[in-house]
Amino acid sequence: MEPETDQPKTGGGGGHRKHLAMLERLSKRSSASSSNAGAGAGAGAGTSPVDAFLARFAGAKLAAESALSACRASSPEDAAASLAAAGAAIDDIDRLVAEASHALPPYELRAALAAAADLRAAHRAAAAELRPKKSFSFRNKSRAPKNPPQDPATALPPQPPPPPELPNPSLDPILPGLGFRGRSGATLVKDLRRVSNGKDGDFTLADLVSCEVYLKGKCRALYIHRLRGCRVFVGAVLGSVLIEDVEGCTFVMAAHQIRIHEARATDFYLRVRSRPIIEDCSGVRFAPHALSYEGIEEDLRESGLEEETGNWANVDDFKWLRAVQSPNWCLVPEEERLQAVDISEAREQGDDT
Amino acid sequence: MGLLSIIRKIKRKEKEMRILMVGLDNSGKTTIVLKINGEDISVISPTLGFNIKTVKYQKYSLNIWDVGGQKTIRSYWRNYFEQTDGLVWVVDSSDIRRLDDCRAELHNLLKEERLAGASLLVFANKQDIQGALKPDEIAKVLNLEVMDRSRHWKIVGCSAYTGEGLLDGFDWLVQDVASRIYILD
Repeated sequence: MEPETDQPKTGGGGGHRKHLAMLERLSKRSSASSSNAGAGAGAGAGTSPVDAFLARFAGAKLAAESALSACRASSPEDAAASLAAAGAAIDDIDRLVAEASHALPPYELRAALAAAADLRAAHRAAAAELRPKKSFSFRNKSRAPKNPPQDPATALPPQPPPPPELPNPSLDPILPGLGFRGRSGATLVKDLRRVSNGKDGDFTLADLVSCEVYLKGKCRALYIHRLRGCRVFVGAVLGSVLIEDVEGCTFVMAAHQIRIHEARATDFYLRVRSRPIIEDCSGVRFAPHALSYEGIEEDLRESGLEEETGNWANVDDFKWLRAVQSPNWCLVPEEERLQAVDISEAREQGDDT
Repeated sequence: MGLLSIIRKIKRKEKEMRILMVGLDNSGKTTIVLKINGEDISVISPTLGFNIKTVKYQKYSLNIWDVGGQKTIRSYWRNYFEQTDGLVWVVDSSDIRRLDDCRAELHNLLKEERLAGASLLVFANKQDIQGALKPDEIAKVLNLEVMDRSRHWKIVGCSAYTGEGLLDGFDWLVQDVASRIYILD
């Protein structure tokens, strides 16, 4: 397998690329014109694309809402048909939003997506109400209509068993890997250099409240979930860190990739080879890495993290895709920054995982 | 009809396949694409938007669309469904907590009509990490067997970091797609 022509978003890929783009546009247009025969006039001259979208969206939303109310009013026999109609109306909305998504400002897009999600939820609720038993199975059709259920004793047996839907396999039996979970007010220390295979595995911090966490050595991946008021110090991660749902915490860590979701009022002291990203965050601040312990240089070097890339300040906010600075994050002012933290003295107490 | 037959003809001449890579964020999609293309994988930022690579593979030319998996941009996946020949779903096999999300997003995707004909390759990535779930465990958790009758699919364990398993997966996908759309060869 050899590389041929890369086609990045910019770059003049030449006639071949143009050709593809044109085919794509054509095919989009042909499918679009057939799918919105009714509302197609919306993009007419004179109005901006956003106004045109809002008009079409309002129309589609009204259609979906009336289809939903028709569902609630319908008799059990027509329920399936009216539910399907409402579902199709909601699909139309989704399609409309998807088509316009590139052109819409973030607020309109979010509002439209939220409205679509609400309708979807209402549809699910209506569906649950109208068809409590909807298991699909092959059975003798003549049987059902024949016995009008008078006597409860005979009426019950023919009912299909309740269940259905795909049983979602449970994750419970899966043994969790290394990590600290469900602790409060504790000082948690782990030296991965003393765990066989520690450097080849992942590590998890989950459901911690007011804890101090010291993680020395190297690991391949780090998963962090639901931390409140914790201070977390991590050696080197040769791979990615995924942080979700943290509040009032401080993190000091070095890694190849860092993704931060749903963090509030939290400071990050990072060394990272690529650009860190945040999504659904507020009040998060960033500063350069500031950690030391005996042997950290070696851990960083062996993980390809010896170099300060300056990427700790190059944060991308998925909820703010614009040129101006995101309101969700900022840098920690220099005078407030932690001085280099030395965790050499932190020792394992024996109880962990 | 006119347009469709033109597209088919062009595709046949150039032996092109359109491959769509999707999956949750942090699953390793971009790393897989760069690795099979022989590029540096030591500096990869989370994907804002998408990347396109054209890769020569055997006698075929693969147009690989690698689309970002962050929650905010998953709703844009549908903009890339058109004319997809092969679908690659990438799973972080060591992120056990989010396998429920992973299953829900996958099954949501598979309902999509425009993807109905696409072959599905599931990469159980990050097999090099100690404690990662094995491909058959991932298949069970993701409920893949429900597709047995409706779609060509296969799950392959891999490591984008070492490269192990990537070619096995793409070999299967390319053969499966080719046997379907270039049936005359």
